Amino acid sequence: MDKERIARELTGIVGNDGIVVDPGELRVYEADGLTVFKAMPEIVVLPRSTEQVAGVVKVCHREKIPFVARGAGTGLSGGALPIEGGILIGMNRMNRILETDYENQRAVVEPGMVNVWLTNALSPRGYYYSPDPASQTACSIGGNVGENSGGPRTPKYGVTTNHVLGLEVVLPNGEIVKFGGKTLDPLGYDLTGIYVGSEGTFGITTKVTVRIMRKPEAVKTLMGVFESIEDASNSVSAIMARGIVPVAIEMMDNNSIQAVEKGVAAGYPLDAVAVLLAEVDGPKDEVEALVDPIIEVFKENHVREVRVARDENERLLLWKGRKAAFAAMGQISPEYYVQDSVIPLTKLPSIMKFIGELSERCGLRVANVFHAGDGNLHPLVLYNSANEGELHKAEAMGAEIIKACIDMGGSLTGEHGIGLEKRDFMPLMYNEDDLAAMQKVKKVFDPDGLLNPGKIFPAAKPGGQVGPAGQREMLDKVHGRV
Amino acid sequence: MLAEGALVQRLSDLVGPAHVVAGSGASPYVVDGKAPQAVVSPGSVEEVSAVMAFASAEGMKVVPWGNGTKMALGGIPERVDLVLVLSRLKGVVDYEPADVTATFRAGSLLKEAQAVLGGHRQFIGLDPPHADLATLGGILATNSSGPRRLRYGASRDLVIAIRVVDAAGKVTKGGAKVVKNVTGYDMNKLYIGSLGTLGIIVEATFRLHPLPAVEQTLLASFVSVNETREAVARILDSPVVPSALELLNPVAARRVAEQAAVPWSKESYGLAVAIGSVRPEAVDAQLQTVKRLCHETGSPEEHVLDGRLHDAFWRATRDFALDDGLTAVLKASVLVTKVAEAVRVGEEVAAKQGLALGVVCEAGSGIIRYHLTGAAISPERFQQGVAEVVNRLRAFAQGAEGNLVVLKAPTELKSRVDVWGLPEKALPFMRRPKAEFDPQRILNPGRFVGGI
Repeated sequence: MDKERIARELTGIVGNDGIVVDPGELRVYEADGLTVFKAMPEIVVLPRSTEQVAGVVKVCHREKIPFVARGAGTGLSGGALPIEGGILIGMNRMNRILETDYENQRAVVEPGMVNVWLTNALSPRGYYYSPDPASQTACSIGGNVGENSGGPRTPKYGVTTNHVLGLEVVLPNGEIVKFGGKTLDPLGYDLTGIYVGSEGTFGITTKVTVRIMRKPEAVKTLMGVFESIEDASNSVSAIMARGIVPVAIEMMDNNSIQAVEKGVAAGYPLDAVAVLLAEVDGPKDEVEALVDPIIEVFKENHVREVRVARDENERLLLWKGRKAAFAAMGQISPEYYVQDSVIPLTKLPSIMKFIGELSERCGLRVANVFHAGDGNLHPLVLYNSANEGELHKAEAMGAEIIKACIDMGGSLTGEHGIGLEKRDFMPLMYNEDDLAAMQKVKKVFDPDGLLNPGKIFPAAKPGGQVGPAGQREMLDKVHGRV
Repeated sequence: MLAEGALVQRLSDLVGPAHVVAGSGASPYVVDGKAPQAVVSPGSVEEVSAVMAFASAEGMKVVPWGNGTKMALGGIPERVDLVLVLSRLKGVVDYEPADVTATFRAGSLLKEAQAVLGGHRQFIGLDPPHADLATLGGILATNSSGPRRLRYGASRDLVIAIRVVDAAGKVTKGGAKVVKNVTGYDMNKLYIGSLGTLGIIVEATFRLHPLPAVEQTLLASFVSVNETREAVARILDSPVVPSALELLNPVAARRVAEQAAVPWSKESYGLAVAIGSVRPEAVDAQLQTVKRLCHETGSPEEHVLDGRLHDAFWRATRDFALDDGLTAVLKASVLVTKVAEAVRVGEEVAAKQGLALGVVCEAGSGIIRYHLTGAAISPERFQQGVAEVVNRLRAFAQGAEGNLVVLKAPTELKSRVDVWGLPEKALPFMRRPKAEFDPQRILNPGRFVGGI
């Protein structure tokens, strides 16, 4: 592209302070939360309104310049990785709450708004926004829409898609469209539904209408301390089989506990093989009635100790450990590589056994800290890239875990997305016809393929491999190993 | 175009002669006055695929058909060449209770699915109208829902994986059989509510919920519909978690009270609040709160239903219909705060046209069903009246940030009013999925929004 001419035109749209062209400043945007991938955009623009976004996109469309939208850049699959030579549109400046409508239980927000700000703003009136990914103090609602972000609360309250009812979107040709809104059952195809989770490949979100909910009357959080992973795993599906719908059931293994205790001292027993955190909420009498059956299930599965948080401080402390777990990994390992595949709940004991054996066989530790209540694993393979071949080994282990999950009837990602990272695994789950159907939807939104190209779909490599081997080949390329 | 004999022969080759009918045998499958040349009932996904490949090659227009409970929905089809009946695609594909998921073939009746799941104290959180007769595929294709969506959500919240046969016969899947999944695009959402215009749903996987151990319903009544607005607002803003929050106008309340033999004031607006939980104490405490809130907002007395009466009440409410003479059913979606006004406006407009009106609202979700009848008027006069009601209520619903759809009406009315009412400016983009997925317009042409 003719950088100078394009930059001049874009400056005309977003102003002098809305554009970044200096290579040093551009470096901030060269990666998202998955830092093994890096790519330098040619220009970054930081629009403040829908009209500015549309203006910028029209330029990209006219000039056939590939472009990518970015929220807070906390994504873990390279979904917001810029395109070399392309334009990156940073959405952080569009971060206002436009409307809160408590009686209709809706809010309208701009995409750059940080997830937790919304709940903070609603809290004085006793309302909240449910989806709470671990990165909620940094990640943006627009990014959550792109990734269909989850979090621990899935078993009872679902994920982002269940809470997003309407969108304003700038299509890749610069057209501004509205899907859905504050009311249910909008006419025609569920364009909001198909858009959520499209990983920034359909359009640039400029407004989001979300469901807000009244805070429950009561919340109880329990910790079960277990001597074996198997007992903890068995407890999870046993709780479900009892007809209990917990808000969350989270599991942490000993490696995670070690890291967390060094990091934030949440009070988990250091010698526990695994702990489960279970949370229930709802009307007071119902919550009371749910605690005993969970304790019974724990006991049937040989729990060593059960702690029920007595007050809000104790509850928050239990959660603090869980929420800080990824950040605390630095306490026990210089680096980690995380996957987020999903298994049916009853397969939890077998996959945990598989991961344990894999770790032994490959000689790298794995810390498991994950959403057990919905079967969404987060095995963190601990490695040190200073040691020759360890990163490669960690990635290979991640690939084996994904494959095992899919063999057990699961899914290759529960909330982090495919992005660039996992695109070559797609054929493990979907055949050519399935993928072709998805490509048709991409064409509906982006017939020219300008928006976030190269993500989600397996790279076209004539004669090349797909799946884990192809994945390694791609990662090798990224790391300059071939 | 194939002659009838040749067509029956070709279809028989695909699904067996016992599963193809033509001529007078096809007459129960008329859609808005248009009779198909043949009705074909494939017995497997492969056979559905073969029939679609055949229909596409021949350029024949296909109307998918579950159990026919919602065939009145949609615009008048452009052409009906083949009706493809899914009722032979029945039964469980996978069910592991502790996974809290289950996969069924699309021709299964919801009732049959619930019976299987009920054996493990689980269920699919859907209770649409005609729940005893409707198939899963039909419910999903029409995005049909009922009172319990307040607690459990609608099809878009409950379906986690789907299998579809496209217009050309290709079989594809979307989603995954686990409760959390973001692998690729969320194709489930595309097919749900698409009225079979992008593909035929042949299999679906649901996330399940436990059956509540106890469920009871509080019935309250209000002299004026405006009072119900306050009652609903206060219940929604309370710690109570209702499974359903239904508002009925006096015409509907009277009919339901008679059918279910429940005590309900017959001249008032009725509010029914269902509470389900794991323990009776938890239900009691919430019912007390609801009772107090209703009392404070104007309800003179309340009744609590449980057991058989409770079930009978909800069956009558869910399947509410006025069957005297000419009927039409409209569904509006509006802001929750506009429900009471939408009821009042509906009653005014219907009265002006000399039509009787029963209104059943999912008051906590903003969904309103208007049931119109005209007992003593001519069909012509009835259609004029309904057309006027549709136009007025559609304008109201749009003003309340929603929409109004004609769910059921005589075919003649459909040439008078647009049954969907999708605003013109939304149409060009809405046509694009159809153009990608079914460029030949084989599936249900003319029936979906904007004549898609």
